[in-house]
Amino acid sequence: MGLIVITVLVRILEGMFVVGTIGSVVVLVLSGIEDFKMLFGREEEDHS
Amino acid sequence: MSSPFQPTSPSNRVRIVVATSVMLTFISYWRAAAIVLNDLASSAFYACGIAEQAVGKSAPWFIVGVMLFSFAVRAVYVESCSMFVRGGVYKVVKEALGGTLAKFSVSALMFDYILTGPISGVSAGQYIVGLINETFITADTHGWIPRAVHNIFNGTPHLNVNLTSVVFALAVTIYYWRENTKGIQESSEKALRVMQITTVMVVILLAWSALTLFKSGYHPVPLPTPQNLHFSRESLGFLRHSFPEQSLAKMFGLLGILIAFGHSVLAMSGEESLAQVNRELAHPKLRNLKRAAIVIAIYSFVFTGLSALLSVMLIPDAVRVPVYKDNLISGLAMYMWGPEVLRLIFRGFVVVVGFLILSGAVNTAIIGSNGVLNRVSEDGVLADWFRFPHRKYGTSHRIINLVVLLQIVTILASRGDVYVLGEAYAFGVIWSFTFNNLAMLVLRFKYKGVRGWKVPPNIAIAGIEIPIGLISVFLVLLSTALVNLATKSVATVAGVSFSAVFFVIFTVSERVNRKKHALAKEQMKDHFQLLQSDTVDRDSLGIRPGNVLVPVRDYNTLNHLRWVLEHSETREQDVVVMTARISQFGSAAYGLSTEQIFSDYEQTLFTRAVSVAESFGKKISLLVVPARDTWSAVAQTAHNLESSTVVAGLSSKMTTAEQAFTLGSAWEAIPEPKQQFVLQIVQPDSIVDTFRIGPHTPTMKNEDVVLLHRLWLNVTREPGLENIHHHDILTEALTRFARDYGAHDHEHIVKELRRHGPEAGPLPVRRIADQIPTVQPASARSDRDDGHPDDERPDDGSSSPSAGSE
Repeated sequence: MGLIVITVLVRILEGMFVVGTIGSVVVLVLSGIEDFKMLFGREEEDHS
Repeated sequence: MSSPFQPTSPSNRVRIVVATSVMLTFISYWRAAAIVLNDLASSAFYACGIAEQAVGKSAPWFIVGVMLFSFAVRAVYVESCSMFVRGGVYKVVKEALGGTLAKFSVSALMFDYILTGPISGVSAGQYIVGLINETFITADTHGWIPRAVHNIFNGTPHLNVNLTSVVFALAVTIYYWRENTKGIQESSEKALRVMQITTVMVVILLAWSALTLFKSGYHPVPLPTPQNLHFSRESLGFLRHSFPEQSLAKMFGLLGILIAFGHSVLAMSGEESLAQVNRELAHPKLRNLKRAAIVIAIYSFVFTGLSALLSVMLIPDAVRVPVYKDNLISGLAMYMWGPEVLRLIFRGFVVVVGFLILSGAVNTAIIGSNGVLNRVSEDGVLADWFRFPHRKYGTSHRIINLVVLLQIVTILASRGDVYVLGEAYAFGVIWSFTFNNLAMLVLRFKYKGVRGWKVPPNIAIAGIEIPIGLISVFLVLLSTALVNLATKSVATVAGVSFSAVFFVIFTVSERVNRKKHALAKEQMKDHFQLLQSDTVDRDSLGIRPGNVLVPVRDYNTLNHLRWVLEHSETREQDVVVMTARISQFGSAAYGLSTEQIFSDYEQTLFTRAVSVAESFGKKISLLVVPARDTWSAVAQTAHNLESSTVVAGLSSKMTTAEQAFTLGSAWEAIPEPKQQFVLQIVQPDSIVDTFRIGPHTPTMKNEDVVLLHRLWLNVTREPGLENIHHHDILTEALTRFARDYGAHDHEHIVKELRRHGPEAGPLPVRRIADQIPTVQPASARSDRDDGHPDDERPDDGSSSPSAGSE
């Protein structure tokens, strides 16, 4: 019983980590594109 | 607002204007990046060594993974900074999740800061001792060690690495404790210099490594798969009893990856500094923040990530962990291709850079902790007692003492073991990130206002925006933080205990303070009327241009205020008494309310100042400004209020010339247009030194100086006038001129000026001077600044870019 609970908890953690990692890669790519545009002066608007 | 010349309210309470914006000198994104990298890049010196001891030879891939993930974490910080210019974990979490969780998050952050000092100090010690021992071995190999020394050590001389590292870390911590107590400033210039030197080292390291890879080949780095993970017993923490040896990784393959990731997460420590420097970034703020973030991300990825990979690729397995685990970059230097002497020289360079950056991180840890505790103290969750300024230096020495005491205990408890320190350190790092991210997530739903920037991607479903990016980063942080709770037993026990103790202290302090503040507030209401103003200007104070600004700090040394009131007529010239509430690095990152800035101390200080003014029957205006450093605040306030004179007391740690130089430097940082003013420093014996801040006008011709000097020589021969200064004669002459001009001799003066005006040529000063007999000064009269005409240095700029002695 104890092992089952641990297994479920571990799988939840693993799921969170995998989903989060995939999403973080998307964050990395999208913000990287924005950064690239900004570095080469193509960002049109300054939000500050 | 009351009448411009009436600083008291109708109810006779004294009006005090409290500026709520911290007076800062703005910095470029390069400097901001340098400050953050001083903290962030220091982890490159120990992160991979710790990770490899925990998870095995594939650790560099996890370090690279963490550095890539840090791009996403940095995006969250950019969003939070775009919402709260005065951001930081405490502010963000308090806004989103309330005071209780804010106290927890700030406790975790404190744990992070407290640990930064010991781990950096001990790591720097490891690098230095490693070099010393290696030098001994090399010298012994060449037979350069005398037999007597050999006999003392029973072989090759050798220092105990951990013990010596502890001694070194203690020495550095105590040094910076002393410096912070005295009030050293966080210098972006110094941070930039350190990063420039570090960059030279990184470039050499990468180029030489590339050459070595080409010439000598490399050892492959095992891929980050569950099969390649080799957890040490310590790295499984509480799980080691249930899952001995490698069974865990085999049972749950992905969990092993998560555990290894958790052991590498300290490589991205220091991100919080980004939120703290954001406030000081120059316009355009968001764009510069993003630029700084890019510089930080690329630099830390290249340095920390690539050096981790190269260390495994170039240093043989037989020595990498056993010999170089705590000074991996030194090991990398020793296994480059080329002659040994060059490698030793480069290792020496690595150690110098390591010392600079790591000891700088010790300082940053003290400044950061001091800033955060000052902030929570200002918020009423830490007793005002902690904020009481040092009598001599004006710093929050009690907080500094507490922080340094905790760091010294940590260093001694660690016994110089970088691994133990690193494990514990990761607790603070991951939990402060997690709280910050959770708060930002909650704010996406709670706060619908405009944001400067949002972490992408965001999708709208049924009109509700789902922050996919923020949720993703949060999931990784939370899962890592939870796994670390189980696998980092030292960190969990130490971190939870530390956070719990701090949480209790904060909660109890808050309750005590609430009662005390309610009483103090009532008392204060009877005497003072607090007016909040975002900026400092004349309108908010109701004063005229040409006023006298009197900075005060210690209520026991108000001699200069007495001097001002004695020598000025407040009906004609307003006197503004100001005090700067110093907001340290970190503390300055947050917005402050009026009550936070105007504490018990300021109340006592102003009560005394008002008493002094009342004893002269004169009125004063009172002003409190939060600032990063006093001199910048004085210069900016004088500029904003169009003050003609600043009258200060003698500093306990500077000479009058140094005070003038410092204020002159602060004045230089103010953007144009700006006007000059006079600085008068009143010494305890009431001797006043006068300096002009800003370009010196008017220019005095040499003939004028000669005339003035001859007059001075004659006047000082009169009994009782031996100590007269040149400027006293000028003052007397101008006073007489003003009196004559304003009264009976007006027509005659105008006639004379017209006769000798610009068109007619200069006044015949030489002729007048010749009429005054020359008197040689007595040798005993080479007193102070007035003994020689050269001392007048008309228009020479003095020793300061903008401060000149008069």
